[in-house]
Amino acid sequence: MNDLGPIFRTLLRNRLGAFLIALQIALTLAVITNAAFIIQQRANDVARPSGLDEPNTALLVTTLFDSAVDQRQLYRDDLEALRALPGVVAVTPIQSVPVSGSGWGDDFYTTPEMTSDESISTGMFMVDEHGLETLDLELVAGRNFRPEEMIVRGMESIETADVTIVSKALADTLFPDGDALGKTVFDEPNGEKPMEIIGIYDHMQNAWPSSDNVDRTALVPALAMFGGQMMYLVRAEPGQRDAVMAAGEAYLAQNRSRIIDFVRSFEEQKQRTYGGDIAMIKLMSAVITALAAVTGLGIVGLAWFSVTQRRKQIGTRRALGATRFDIVRYFMVENWLITSIGLAVGVAGALTLNWFLDTEYSTGRVPLWYLPLGMIALWLLGQVAVLLPARRAANIPPSLATRSA
Amino acid sequence: MLSYYLRLALASMRRTPVLTALMVLALGLGIGAFMTTFTVYYLMSGDPIPHKSDMLFAVQLDNWDPNRPPTESAKDVEPQLTWRDGLNLMQADTPATRQAHMYGTGAIVVPEGDEPPFDEGVRATWHTFFAMFDVPFLHGGPWGERADQDHASVAVIGRELNDRLFGGANSVGRRIQLDDSFYEIVGVIDDWQPTPRFYHSDWGRAFEDSEQVFIPMTRAVDVPMGPHGNTNCWAPLDESLPMPQAFLQSECVWTQFWAELETPEQVAAYKDYLDNYVREQKEVGRFPRPLNTFISDVNEWMDVMGVVGNDNRVQLRLSFLFLLVCVLNTVGLLMAKFLGKGGEVALRRAMGASRGAIFTQNLVEVGAVGVLGGLTGIGIAWLGLRAVENLYRGYQHLVSLDPFMLTAAVGLSVIAAIAAGLYPVWRVSRLAPAGLLKTQ
Repeated sequence: MNDLGPIFRTLLRNRLGAFLIALQIALTLAVITNAAFIIQQRANDVARPSGLDEPNTALLVTTLFDSAVDQRQLYRDDLEALRALPGVVAVTPIQSVPVSGSGWGDDFYTTPEMTSDESISTGMFMVDEHGLETLDLELVAGRNFRPEEMIVRGMESIETADVTIVSKALADTLFPDGDALGKTVFDEPNGEKPMEIIGIYDHMQNAWPSSDNVDRTALVPALAMFGGQMMYLVRAEPGQRDAVMAAGEAYLAQNRSRIIDFVRSFEEQKQRTYGGDIAMIKLMSAVITALAAVTGLGIVGLAWFSVTQRRKQIGTRRALGATRFDIVRYFMVENWLITSIGLAVGVAGALTLNWFLDTEYSTGRVPLWYLPLGMIALWLLGQVAVLLPARRAANIPPSLATRSA
Repeated sequence: MLSYYLRLALASMRRTPVLTALMVLALGLGIGAFMTTFTVYYLMSGDPIPHKSDMLFAVQLDNWDPNRPPTESAKDVEPQLTWRDGLNLMQADTPATRQAHMYGTGAIVVPEGDEPPFDEGVRATWHTFFAMFDVPFLHGGPWGERADQDHASVAVIGRELNDRLFGGANSVGRRIQLDDSFYEIVGVIDDWQPTPRFYHSDWGRAFEDSEQVFIPMTRAVDVPMGPHGNTNCWAPLDESLPMPQAFLQSECVWTQFWAELETPEQVAAYKDYLDNYVREQKEVGRFPRPLNTFISDVNEWMDVMGVVGNDNRVQLRLSFLFLLVCVLNTVGLLMAKFLGKGGEVALRRAMGASRGAIFTQNLVEVGAVGVLGGLTGIGIAWLGLRAVENLYRGYQHLVSLDPFMLTAAVGLSVIAAIAAGLYPVWRVSRLAPAGLLKTQ
């Protein structure tokens, strides 16, 4: 590397050009590390397991608009018909679905003295005794609901269930000693609306992906009758989901007193819920790609030009004994030097940008190991970009030195 | 002179097509990305009702749980009201010019013929809504005060629904079936889409379509039609009351409330009125928190509700940095290009062109690159907005490039190109012709 000195001194003679590329590299590093960090965070959120049998689950939503129809009887008829469809594993009525973005949040109290600021918030789901199987939850302790425990919550009457099955995460938050099974929680302060924890299941997410404690959830045995909307969650045998969705929709459509709001696979619902995050992932990926392309092409353009400018100088070097490889190396080392200067500034830039984004928009602090990765990527980008012009330079014949411009 | 300079610029671009294409592409990408995020941001943060936004005020009363943390600003207070507080204010003689109480709900519309039923969003409100928000009518008009008092089955429908149900005919006097009840149509409104939909702008709802059906709130509550928005409760329902009365009389918040106040005096008087109302309610044991009434005009309210998401702000900032990289890139390329023009410049100088003329001529070339970059940018922004529309549900009102945006895109691009080119152009106009001519 004994040509580092001459290369650096040459650079100093064209300070502005080098400075511009270095600054561009610095900004690029700042933006791509932060964009990559945002992508990673969102991708982690999207990848969290909901607890459900995601590929085999579907959601059927219908709205009854004729108040002469007995809604409770219709629930019974629907459930019977849907459960009889070929390929169905289990069906439950449900008032909202995990990871759907809209649901029922409630607060649990473990003692009558507890005040509302100490209460534990949880995502509540109204299901029947088929809920556990449909949601693909495994009981780690206790028992399932019994049909006679079902209550109705709606515009006409709001009852409170006597029993609940909670997630392991909720059980451990409510009763940190691990003895939640059989304990009583209260749905309201002052010891009102007691409910017994009759079971604990492994894991299920609540309805809101951006909430603080997504894994604190509870099931209650209840039918929802707030207006005419009725929702069914269906779990099918592997490979049967789409057939079950079609058959279920055909069954629901027979009744002229209602409309079908939608029939949707759980996977599609999840995509919709995470739409904002997925959009952010795609937009940030586009930003990274475009930045890499612009910066890379910029390096190509400048190096190309500088080769044209230095044709005679390069010819002279070749005539004086420099090999083709020496010429290529010259441009690569030059680019490496400029990139390194840019990256040094870029590290500070990346941290400043992240500090700004985190304070203003709470994006979180980027882990430091993103920086070396980003630096390696940009070093590589620079070296690859400069390769083409450098090879062109290497092809300049030594005889050029003897000709005048 | 300009046309001569433009011809020179064109010739110069042809001489270095790759370099020129790179510059135009870089500028276009930068402008396109920035215009994409800026358009969304600009439409999101736009004033939905400019001629009146400083006279319309959202009301917050804070009937919330005494155990929750203290309130520092309007952002800490529930954005909605209980049904009964809204009703009390509607029935009171307040200093406001108008008030409107409302909530969002939905119903199944059953067409008269063989068409299948479908669901529609319904806004349950008072007759004042239409005059207050300057809703344009095609046929008929709002229902009257009596209809609110009588819980009348009347409806105002939107143009789109009127086209669908009645083929666009004047449907005033005809009936519409919502669920299993009939409502007499008293008015048809023209297309009306405030963006953001300020009157009900809960998280995720601010860019929804405005409703196609409006009915008296007094009637909707009788049905009862349940709220389709956020419903938040902190206190248990009164079990001595049957449903839905227990819900209506509860401390649950699920309705929106607006007041029209024309002068600062009126604003002050109305605020006093609200404070007194809460004090009265405190005497009967409600409103356990400190006095926290807030009124916010439309633009303040959009800020309270945070309608412009953090993601949109991050995108705007990052796309600006991207534009900056693109401009830096262009400066570098222009430097390279113009320094290579030394011979040509020297020749022109030797033939008598002044430094000023060289400067202007090269600036014209830079400007031309800017215009081309801007036009490319518009194309890329259009593609970008289509992508954004596909990526986000409910952004359909946020992705249109209006003439202002188009002009801004080209303008910004020319400014960016000239900013990028100023130094290279200045450098090239300072070249000493003699030395360069000699080496040629």
